[in-house]
Amino acid sequence: MYLETLEKMTSKMNKTDDAAVRRTAAFLADYASLLAGCGATCIRTEKNTRRMAAAFGYGCDISILPTHVYVWVWGAEAAQREMAVRKMTGGGISFHLNALLSRLSWEVADRHLDFPTAVGRFESIATTPPTRPQEVLLLTSLANASFCRLFGGDAAAMLTVFLSTLLGYRLKQIMLEERCDVRLTFLCASFFSATFSAGGHVFGIGDTPEIALGTSVLYLIPGVPYMNAVSDVLYRHYLCAFSRFLDAAVLTACLSAGLCAGMLIMGLKWF
Amino acid sequence: MTYNEILIPVFEDGWFAAIAAIGFSSISNTPRRAYLTCGLTAAVGHSIRYALTVPDWLGMHIIPASTVAAFAIGMLAVLLASRIKCPAEVCFFPALLPMIPGMYAYRTIEALLSCLYYTQGEAFAYYFHLLAYNGLTCTFIILGMVVGATVPVFLFKRLSFTATR
Repeated sequence: MYLETLEKMTSKMNKTDDAAVRRTAAFLADYASLLAGCGATCIRTEKNTRRMAAAFGYGCDISILPTHVYVWVWGAEAAQREMAVRKMTGGGISFHLNALLSRLSWEVADRHLDFPTAVGRFESIATTPPTRPQEVLLLTSLANASFCRLFGGDAAAMLTVFLSTLLGYRLKQIMLEERCDVRLTFLCASFFSATFSAGGHVFGIGDTPEIALGTSVLYLIPGVPYMNAVSDVLYRHYLCAFSRFLDAAVLTACLSAGLCAGMLIMGLKWF
Repeated sequence: MTYNEILIPVFEDGWFAAIAAIGFSSISNTPRRAYLTCGLTAAVGHSIRYALTVPDWLGMHIIPASTVAAFAIGMLAVLLASRIKCPAEVCFFPALLPMIPGMYAYRTIEALLSCLYYTQGEAFAYYFHLLAYNGLTCTFIILGMVVGATVPVFLFKRLSFTATR
């Protein structure tokens, strides 16, 4: 009788533990997919996820593939082992999310946040709004004009680049809001900016119109994926590195095609 | 060359690099509290590269100069990241962006298309030379930059991954 009751209690406890392991695996997979999707390097995603699992008292292993994240979580007993797979969220690069999610992992580890609180914090972070589009538009245009100056462009070239970036980046924002394909968006934005700045070349505005033309599309260069790719290579995440590099290379090819098309349509002698 | 002739362009270079870094960081949704650090890091890094490559002064080649500047950016980013409670890459990625050799990349594509157009021996050889020169310079600048900026993260691994703590 006593043994039977004990067995029932153990079975009930194991079921509760299994559910807890399953919930933890699902949460960590959500966390890892959001972190990796917002542009964190693979090593950061791994470290943060493992840190949180350890703080919850579980073992954890993680596998990051170009489009999916696999998380295995296990409890004290070998039988309590759960796997969760999540598609990587494609919300674009966000260092703000990266910082908030990294901080959450430390809060879980250092302040011993309980599971429901951690999930609540995570859900609140996931809905963090991005930087205001107008602010990004203005700052990017100023940045590209400064870029033009760094390459030796004069004031007229800087103004041309500022305006062409303003137009091209606004087009990019509109197209992304309309959920257009990102490659088509890059091609169109580049074409738009290049055509506008080629006007400076055609009408002979300033002394350095060629610098204005060359710089006008540089705001589209996907620098962060390129650098993430190298970081992933250093930590031997070759698949993700290759995927990030190819993604960035395709976008670079699209912006180059837009630039060439813009120059051709404005009748500039390319060759 | 007088010091003023060097220092004014160095500061000017740093100023525009800072604006470029802040602007490009906004594309990646960088937290506002990190803008100043990104700008400062970029200004220091770009000024170092400019100073190292001034022909009448140190006259260093752009590849090692970019690596040294990126190392300085990486060091600053690792040291300052914990102050703004952001991962180190939040600071050094935008700071590196103004150093990405966009003009070399642009000239590489220009030379590549010229190679396809000019099939005669001499003209083809000329544009192929431009393609190789610009392409290799661009590739090695980027490699040097990334290695230079990542070395501090390796050296101070603990500091780098606890910045948001």
